[in-house]
Amino acid sequence: MASTKVPEVRDITRIERIGAHSHIRGLGLDDALEPRQVSQGMVGQLASRRAAGVILEMIKDGHIAGRAVLIAGQPGTGKTAIAMGIAQSLGPDTPFTALAGSEIFSLEMSKTEALSQAFRKAIGVRIKEETEIIEGEVVEIQIDRPATGTGAKVGKLTLKTTEMETIYDLGNKMIDSLSKEKVQAGDVITIDKATGKISKLGRSFTRARDYDAMGAQTQFVQCPEGELQKRKEVVHTVSLHEIDVINSRTQGFLALFSGDTGEIKSEVREQINAKVCEWREEGKAEIIPGVLFIDEVHMLDMECFSFLNRALESDLSPVLIMATNRGITRIRGTNYQSPHGIPIDLLDRLLIIATSPYTEKETRQILKIRCEEEDVELSEEAHTVLTRIGMETSLRYAIQLISTAGLVCRKRKGTEVQVEDIKRVYSLFLDEARSSQYMKEYQDSFLFNETQTAAMDTS
Amino acid sequence: MADASERVLEYLAEVEAAAEDVLTTKQQIVDLDSKRNRNREALSALRRELADTEKVKVCFGNMFIKFPKSKAREMIQRDHEQLDREINDLHKELKAKVNRLNELQGKPELRGYSLSPLSSEEIRAVNSLLKV
Repeated sequence: MASTKVPEVRDITRIERIGAHSHIRGLGLDDALEPRQVSQGMVGQLASRRAAGVILEMIKDGHIAGRAVLIAGQPGTGKTAIAMGIAQSLGPDTPFTALAGSEIFSLEMSKTEALSQAFRKAIGVRIKEETEIIEGEVVEIQIDRPATGTGAKVGKLTLKTTEMETIYDLGNKMIDSLSKEKVQAGDVITIDKATGKISKLGRSFTRARDYDAMGAQTQFVQCPEGELQKRKEVVHTVSLHEIDVINSRTQGFLALFSGDTGEIKSEVREQINAKVCEWREEGKAEIIPGVLFIDEVHMLDMECFSFLNRALESDLSPVLIMATNRGITRIRGTNYQSPHGIPIDLLDRLLIIATSPYTEKETRQILKIRCEEEDVELSEEAHTVLTRIGMETSLRYAIQLISTAGLVCRKRKGTEVQVEDIKRVYSLFLDEARSSQYMKEYQDSFLFNETQTAAMDTS
Repeated sequence: MADASERVLEYLAEVEAAAEDVLTTKQQIVDLDSKRNRNREALSALRRELADTEKVKVCFGNMFIKFPKSKAREMIQRDHEQLDREINDLHKELKAKVNRLNELQGKPELRGYSLSPLSSEEIRAVNSLLKV
C-alpha cells in the first residue's frame, strides 16, 4: 500500500488524492489525438478524453489562457482521472495547481485571497540567467606569503581544459576564497566572473589515483572541454505566486519557515504584474499560462464564482479546469437552483466535458490496472466477482476491496486472491447501498433518531 | 525511388553542413579564448615584472621586436578588446546556428532560448527562488 504513495509529487494537494489515481500516466492519446481504449492507465471515456486532448494541445501551445473547462459526470466516472491525465501529460514545465473546492475556506485567509493565490501559482514565468564563468581543472596553486606574516599575499593559479592552459594572478581575496573552499591541484572548479565566487565541481579523473584515502563524497569529473571562459545560460521557471511571496515578505527569511504567507497586498501583486509585463516586453521573460484544477467546484459559493468570472478576464490568467459530480442543485450560500451548482453566467463561459459511467468491460480493465498498481494478484473468478461488485455497487468500493482482499489473502498465506477472500471482505465492509439499508432497518436504535425528518441532501 | 534517395541525401548533406558550421564556430571560440588568455597573461606580466622605462621584446609571427613597454601594452590591450568583441559576436552567431540545426533536424526549439537575460540586479532580486 505504501508503494502506491511514492510516485512523483509536485504539490501538497496532489498527495491526498494520489492514492486513487496513481496509475494514471497521461491521457492515453495517440499522435492524432485519437484515444486508445486502454493506455497510460486510462480506460474508456473516449469522447471526453479526446476533448481533454484537444484542450491539452491548446494549453501546450499557449494559445488559450483565461478559459475554463468543466468536467461533469456522476461520481466514479473518472473526472479526477482525466484532470490527472492532463496534469501528467503537460510535463513538469507547465505549472499545474490542484485544489479541492473546500480548501479555500480557511480562517487565516479570505476566500478570494486563497483563490487568487491558487490562480497565481498556476502561472509560470520563464526567465533566463546568464553568467560568465571560468571553468577548468586546477593544475597548480602557488601562494606566496610575505615573510613578516602580515601584508598582502600573492599567488598564481594554473587552470586547464582539454584545449588550453593558462595562469591567473591571484589577489588577496581570491586566495582567501580558494583556501576557504580547500581547492587543491586536481580539482575541477568554476569561478563566477561577476562575483568571484568559487565552486568545486569535483576531482579530475586523471588524478583519481593520487590518494587512496578519499571520502565517499568525493566526486570524480572529466576535465572540462573547450574554452576556459564560458558563458552559461540557465533558464528558470518560477510562479507568479512565488515572486509575490518574496516581495511581500518584510521580515526576511523567517516567513520561509512558518510556511504560511498570509495575505498578499493587492499593490504588491500589481507591482509584480507591471514588472513581469515589462520584462515580457523587453524579451526578458515568457509567461506560461498553466492549469488550475478545482475539484468539487460546487463547494464554492457565490462570492467565489463571481471572483472567478472576474479573474478569468485578466490577461495573466491560467486555464481553469473544474470538476463536479452534482446535477441541478442549489448554489452554495443561496437558494437558487442551477445546473452543477454553478451560476449560469459562469457556466456560459465554460467548455463542458461530460463523463459517462463505465461499462462492465471497462470496469474490469480498471480493476485489473488497479490490481497491478497495488501489487495484488487476482484469480480469474475473483476478478469476475469483483467486476460484478463494481457494477452493482460502485467502482470505488470495488477498488477498495482490492487491497483489503489482498490483505486477507496474505493472512491465509495465499498468493492469489480467490473468490472466498472477496466474499470475506464483502461481508466485512459495507458498501454505500447496504449501509443505508442497514440504517433504515435499525435507525430506531441509533442516537438522535428524531432528526430523521431532515432528509439528507444527496442530490 | 532514385528521386527519394536523392532528396534524403540532399537533406542529410544540409544537416551535416549545419552541424559542421556549429562545430567550426565552437572551435573558433576556443581558439580565440586561448589567444585571449595568452594576451591576459602578457598584460599581467607587463604590469608586474618590469620597470616602466624598459623596452620589451614582443613576438610577431616568428620575429622578436623590441618595443617600449607602454606601446606594447597598448597594442595588446587593443587586441584584447578586439578579441572580446569577436568572441561575443561568435556567441551570437552560434546561437542562430544551433537553432538552425535544431530546426533542420526537426527538434523543438529549446525552452527560453530566445529570451534575453535578466540583469544582475534583477537576478539578485529573485535569487532566493532560483537557488532552492
